[in-house]
Amino acid sequence: MDDDQRDIELSSLEAIYPELQRVDPNDPYTIFLEVPVNPANGVIVTFPNPTTDGAVPADGAVANGAGVRADHHGGADGGLAINPDHNPNNGPDSHRLSHLPPVRLEIGLGSGYPEEKPPSVSVSTNPPWLPDTVVRRLEEDGPRLWEEIGRDMVAYTYIDHVQQAAEDLFGLVDEKEGLEVDTQHKIAVLDYDIKAKKAAFDRETFSCGVCLDPKKGSVCHRMVDCGHVFCIDCLQDFYNNAIKEGDLAAVRCLAPGCAKEREKAAATEKKGKKVRTFISPSELLQIPLEPEVVQRYVTLKYKTELESDKNTIYCPRSWCNGAARSKKHKKPEGFELGEASDEDEGSEVEEDEAGSSGKMKPFKPEKELLAICEDCGFAFCSRCLQSWHGEFVRCSAPRKKDELTEEDIASLEYVKLHTTPCPTCAAPVQKTHGCNHMLCYRCQSHFCYLCSAWLHPDNPYQHFNIQPDGKRNSCYMRLWELEEGDGDDVGLGFAGGRGGGAPAGGAPIPVEHVVPEIEEPEDEDEAHEHARDDRQRDNHNAHGADNRQVGVAREGPLVLRIAGNPPPGAGRGGPRAAGVPPRAPVPPARGGHNQQHPLVGLAGHARAGRGAGGAPARRGGVRGAAQNAGANNRGAGRGGAQQRNGRMAAQGVQLFGPMLEMMRADALPDRLDAPQEAWVRQFVQLALEDREDLLAEMEQDPGFR
Amino acid sequence: MASIKRIQKELAECTTSSPAGISVTLPDDSDLHRWHVTLQGPSNTPYAGGAFGLVVSLPPDYPFKPPTVTFATRIYHPNVTNDSQGNICLGVLKHENWKPSTKLVGVLEAVRGLLAEPNPDDPLEARIADEYRQDRAGWEKTAKQYVARYAKGEITWPEKEEGKKA
Repeated sequence: MDDDQRDIELSSLEAIYPELQRVDPNDPYTIFLEVPVNPANGVIVTFPNPTTDGAVPADGAVANGAGVRADHHGGADGGLAINPDHNPNNGPDSHRLSHLPPVRLEIGLGSGYPEEKPPSVSVSTNPPWLPDTVVRRLEEDGPRLWEEIGRDMVAYTYIDHVQQAAEDLFGLVDEKEGLEVDTQHKIAVLDYDIKAKKAAFDRETFSCGVCLDPKKGSVCHRMVDCGHVFCIDCLQDFYNNAIKEGDLAAVRCLAPGCAKEREKAAATEKKGKKVRTFISPSELLQIPLEPEVVQRYVTLKYKTELESDKNTIYCPRSWCNGAARSKKHKKPEGFELGEASDEDEGSEVEEDEAGSSGKMKPFKPEKELLAICEDCGFAFCSRCLQSWHGEFVRCSAPRKKDELTEEDIASLEYVKLHTTPCPTCAAPVQKTHGCNHMLCYRCQSHFCYLCSAWLHPDNPYQHFNIQPDGKRNSCYMRLWELEEGDGDDVGLGFAGGRGGGAPAGGAPIPVEHVVPEIEEPEDEDEAHEHARDDRQRDNHNAHGADNRQVGVAREGPLVLRIAGNPPPGAGRGGPRAAGVPPRAPVPPARGGHNQQHPLVGLAGHARAGRGAGGAPARRGGVRGAAQNAGANNRGAGRGGAQQRNGRMAAQGVQLFGPMLEMMRADALPDRLDAPQEAWVRQFVQLALEDREDLLAEMEQDPGFR
Repeated sequence: MASIKRIQKELAECTTSSPAGISVTLPDDSDLHRWHVTLQGPSNTPYAGGAFGLVVSLPPDYPFKPPTVTFATRIYHPNVTNDSQGNICLGVLKHENWKPSTKLVGVLEAVRGLLAEPNPDDPLEARIADEYRQDRAGWEKTAKQYVARYAKGEITWPEKEEGKKA
């Protein structure tokens, strides 16, 4: 009887393969069986790179994650290298797997089997990773075997045949060195491998090296990096304790010498590449440790890393002091430890070496300057520790905290108020007593204490007298002013040659006041009268100067370019001193240099409308009036406010405020103060001698006293 | 407690199938954390024929923390302090090197190995280490004298509280 034969075969098959099942409970003769595919030595499965950048890369990312999990649970094949060497982006994505999804055999023993009909066989895998050719071949094997054994009961023979074929992966590996599987099945295939490994691992028994008890794999953990197995209880106890005590170095494999040996091996094998000997936070979570503990581990690890790096910049906010973001040490997000640090290590070291060999590190603004606090988000400059000012602001490192005390500030204020800078070296000089002819203690320049004008060493007193051309400057007859000295302790407070516009303070005079067309009646005639003469004389004198002092003549062109901008301070001073309408005296060409010019008095003289005529001439006259007024007041009491202002007005005109315009084309000169003026003067002087680089050295000179 | 269980296992291992030249006793049966170990001097060394007492004390959180091992018997050795404390310089016993899966048998064998092969490069007694390197005969002579004087009779175990001092 046909049926009997099939029943006999099926019952023996069920005895051999207890996992045998029926496809349909109502059809006892169609059975299916899953044949496991566990190649003894594993197989390298390659997933070809997707040709399009569609959703597949995301797929791949997930699968990579799965691959990592595969490692964590170890394999049943104990000792097998289970680290997939997956390089997601370049080259084929390959993994060594030891479990592939099983082959499902569906065998139908129809009526007429075995005598007349072969069994109907269908082979499939889920997902369909098995190539169609193999599937077809296997399916054809059923009828073929049935024929071979003489049309008899072939089911067992066939199943056994497929099982044996599965052992060597149906011959696939021999052909290609590896198995190529469509990338769309990647996740499923990898996932199956993971689960199979985990199941196999769970069934195994291990002897925990810590508690020395034999433990089932299901309560054990295989270390990701080295493969040692410990029981979860011991790992939890040990790591919880270590992290609680902050003993981060202990958070490694518990096998004796394990981490060290791997370090050594890595060092000899491949220089420069560090082997990870600590345990990743994700592995700790898998053991599992409490998330809080792992978080503490991550935080402590990051903190240690930052603290051991001398380049770490901390937030300048005193209430924060968080570390600034850096490429080298990424702040951990959640449980992820930034691992970029390992990669950057090498280049960072090289940089350090370069930095120590040269005196200065190469300036890399984008890298070094902008720092953003990781904790409070404060963006600041890593050099000056002020809030971020952009890449192009020149700043300097802050002085050490206590360096500039209140005392220092007061001292600087005092210096500003009670000294006059040397026109050559800018050394602040305080007059304690005596006349206004000063000799710089540092560079031996002769200069006027009142206006900081450079004086000719041959006859420095000329400055305070009627000039050779018969003019008088603003310091005329003031040689003995402030005879008792300058400063709180020595008498009058005189802002010295720093006067300029600064002490006048207040808002700049509106333009309409500064450049009025109204003229002082007194001066008008005189101005007109002298305008032409003056110009001629000017020219003449300039030539004379050429003969006597080459330097002055060479300065000329420099000043010419900047003659257009009058310092408002001058205009301001005028009315206060003399009650005349404010003017904006445009310093004529050489106004700025008359101190060095033998004919110093020229520009400041009341009747010396020196311009080329017209408005400049008139303005010059006005300025002269202001000065005259100041001079007239002199008798009333020297050092008086009005008088000083008047004098300053004159200074503003005479001095070098306008010259700064060369450097700061649009800036208003009312910001000028004496040091700046002196600086310009000094710069010009040095520039003429081709020694302007000395200036930087002088500026660094702590010559301030 | 896992700690007690493991110590029991280790003790059982050491007493039932004790390694060559090593025997373990408990001075106090109720205290598993203090072992008395008798070490037979390895043959072909100056220590041959001597019996050396070792006191092993296990911290409460053993095996997470390393045990401390000291010589109760005076011994002339570059890696053991030449005094009544008998401290040993042994890598595996250092805190940073200790791994919880290191077993006491391994430690004891390492100590015995140190007797067979002193490590003069990492000495506790520099003078003895120098002598060991430069005047081996002199060193052997002194070591044998020490054995004859201290390691021949009954071992005098230190009191529990003053384990390290006595």
